[in-house]
Amino acid sequence: MIEVVEAGHWTTVQDRGRPSLERFGIPPGGAADWYAAAVANRIVGNPQGAALLECTASGPTLRFDADAVVALTGGHSPGAANWQPIGIARGASLTIGTIAPGLRSYIAVRGGIDVPLVLGSRSFCQRGTFGGGFGRPLQRGDRLEVGRLGEYEPLAAPWPESHRLPARGPWEVHVIPGPQLDAFAEDALQRLTTTACRVTPAIDRMGLRLATPGLRLQPQEIVTVPMTAGAIQVTPSGGLIVLHVDHQSTGGYPVIATVISADLPLLAQARPGDTVRFRSVDQAEAVRAWRRLTGWLELDP
Amino acid sequence: MWQVAPAGDRALLVTVGRTIDPSLLGQVLALDKALAGRPPSGLISTVPAYASLLCHYDPGVTDAARLEASILELEGHVDAAMAVGSVVDVPTQYDGPDLASVALQTNLTPAGVIEMHAGREYLVYCVGFAPGFTYCGVLPDQLSVPRLASPRLRVATGSIGIAGRQTGIYAVESPGGWNLIGRTGLRLFDPAADPPVGFKPGDRLRFIPAS
Repeated sequence: MIEVVEAGHWTTVQDRGRPSLERFGIPPGGAADWYAAAVANRIVGNPQGAALLECTASGPTLRFDADAVVALTGGHSPGAANWQPIGIARGASLTIGTIAPGLRSYIAVRGGIDVPLVLGSRSFCQRGTFGGGFGRPLQRGDRLEVGRLGEYEPLAAPWPESHRLPARGPWEVHVIPGPQLDAFAEDALQRLTTTACRVTPAIDRMGLRLATPGLRLQPQEIVTVPMTAGAIQVTPSGGLIVLHVDHQSTGGYPVIATVISADLPLLAQARPGDTVRFRSVDQAEAVRAWRRLTGWLELDP
Repeated sequence: MWQVAPAGDRALLVTVGRTIDPSLLGQVLALDKALAGRPPSGLISTVPAYASLLCHYDPGVTDAARLEASILELEGHVDAAMAVGSVVDVPTQYDGPDLASVALQTNLTPAGVIEMHAGREYLVYCVGFAPGFTYCGVLPDQLSVPRLASPRLRVATGSIGIAGRQTGIYAVESPGGWNLIGRTGLRLFDPAADPPVGFKPGDRLRFIPAS
């Protein structure tokens, strides 16, 4: 059992989400930085589908009533060693503190966080207020069961630095053009990819609003279409909204380009004021980037 | 002509048209059914909406070009006629906070707005945006009003709104910019139910004023 002594700013239970329910309006969800979450599970010997805690901006203080092995990955947590297995003795506490650089850090516990499955996942869904054990972010006094999902031995060494993603901006984010590229002027994508965009304070798991100084794209109107994580929507006033894992399943703003899956973790770590530059790539390069990260997860460091 | 465009590196968007039209929705649903019946290798799931279908795929199994080819093979070979199902009644309390302003904008009385909204059958074009949100169309021209200038931060579960030629039902509490004219007690999202939502595209419904 783990007791939440302090909850942190916005701490939720996440796993790999509910990827096939968008036809019901349900966002895919899951860890916003899927790579850091996968590494955290890998370090403690959990299967990739194990649930863990996603902390935002500032993390919780947890008290463990049994010996545990945990790992902290993603944005830097000052409270303990990151990217390596940590043994916690029965009765001891773990304090995450203020996360920086980066915005989100992950706490994997060997065995996984065991809250009930809702629609096939343990992830908290904010839009539907269900899942994550409580249908809300964690609060002081919550108690979490630890599961029995430890499949492999925990790693003996820290996760290699060469196999971590950058922790701070400026962020170079790769995109595939479209799907509504034809709702824009011919030079719109070229103008977008040569603009330094700025992350505004309006960011959450649903999406990030970006400011584009000096750039105003004017798209045509479209009929509502399905949306994906990474979709860069352009509003009628020219603002950019990059959708993330808890994105609305459909939307009415045209999408000029879509962030590749391998770079969604970067946007999960971006903070207000950071610079984002988009670079257009083809399918082959996107698949190579994805394979590089999944290949890292299979390595024995 | 169907247009297929990448939606990132793990999905393709098939666009069959650019308007809100029952025959376009018919094509989308027919394509969806054909793909579900004989899924091309690597296809994971699909999301229908109005005039387009999103196809998620596993890039470890297939690639965009191969999946696009299997989809385009179906063009002209699907039966786009929609099954005519029964019409579901949605019991409605017409007491929404925007009823009076909609009446003003449309030169109708509130009772006239209710009569016009409740007096027809609607087609469900899409379930999306938020869990269970049900987009229906189309409204008579006279009832077409723009979205609110600034969206509400909280719209209550069961609220019924109108915007443009569409009417919709909020299945969960969420932000929203539609003009709220009523509400229903019908539960349209239940994570414990299978399926978890009340309506699917192609369904038909009508709003029944509570007496």
